[in-house]
Amino acid sequence: MNILKQCFYLLLICFIGEAVALLLPVPLPASIISMVLLFLLLLTGWFRETQIREVSDFLLGNMAVLFIPAGVSIINYFDEIRSVWPALLAIILISTIVTFLVTAFTTQLMIRFMARRGRSYAAPEAGVSEPAGSKREEM
Amino acid sequence: MGELTSMALFGLGLSLGAFELGKLIQKKCKNPAANPLLIAIVLVIAVLQIFHIPYEDYEEGGKLISIFLGPATICLAVTVYRQVRILKANVLPILVGTAVGSAASILTVIGLCYLFRLDQVFHVSLIPKSVTTPIAMEISRAQNGIVPVTVAAVVLTGILGAIISPLLIRVCRIKNPVTAGVAIGTSSHVIGTSKAVELGEIEGAMSSISLVMSGIITVIYSLFL
Repeated sequence: MNILKQCFYLLLICFIGEAVALLLPVPLPASIISMVLLFLLLLTGWFRETQIREVSDFLLGNMAVLFIPAGVSIINYFDEIRSVWPALLAIILISTIVTFLVTAFTTQLMIRFMARRGRSYAAPEAGVSEPAGSKREEM
Repeated sequence: MGELTSMALFGLGLSLGAFELGKLIQKKCKNPAANPLLIAIVLVIAVLQIFHIPYEDYEEGGKLISIFLGPATICLAVTVYRQVRILKANVLPILVGTAVGSAASILTVIGLCYLFRLDQVFHVSLIPKSVTTPIAMEISRAQNGIVPVTVAAVVLTGILGAIISPLLIRVCRIKNPVTAGVAIGTSSHVIGTSKAVELGEIEGAMSSISLVMSGIITVIYSLFL
């Protein structure tokens, strides 16, 4: 394991992503392009997970730290938020619950649909539950 | 004092110190509401306010940390790659679940923003709230949203998801771990996923795949907004 070499590979992929983002006609974030690129490289076996394992484990394991500066800069927007923060909190609460329920309901529906067509799944098919539909009226 | 605080060392050290303190508090409380990131942000803001340190001083060190956001986002590919077998076995439920779930997230945000008569800038700042922070920041920036508001919304969404997900799973009697994982990952990204991992291995794997999927899907949706 050579940490500097791993960093180099990661930065190289970042750089390629930035270059591709400039060439694309749609405004896709460079980091998303690089992410898909890395996934494809791993999937095709052109690039092995061991070639960036330590660096990626470090970054993934400490990701939360990286958002502190972005979060702190909310200090510059206190005036804008002062009057609306209760509404923002309400939106976050309601939307998160609805998103959870809709996702669960849809996924469950798809799993049942696939099971009916006789495909097998890694997850146990037993215990297929009451979907979320009945609960959504509360919203 | 000003000379010291405007050094990059100050912002960098303050951030890392605040985060370590946050982790310590979380360990003591064992409560998902005691999120280290949230605690760190509050602590740093408190220090800056109390000692009247200008934000620009802090930013000198802060921007050194932000540089690593891009590389860290890319590493999410490694997470998905490690779960590729379970992804292949459930590809359709994951894709459809995250696609419909992300649409529900965006639509409820837009609908509620109109209901509360919020300014357009808050619509675009809140739209990516269920997506993992680095992707959410990109979406918000591309749409001219207020990125810090997005970060705050994302963190709050995640914490909320980690608290209410087990409750929702029980109330709705969701017994399939795939369903539970996809729902957690799509609605409350990485912070929710940390809870999903506690629930079980399949839940954790599905949740981490779904958070990446819903991130990509939300980016694609946002191109049409």
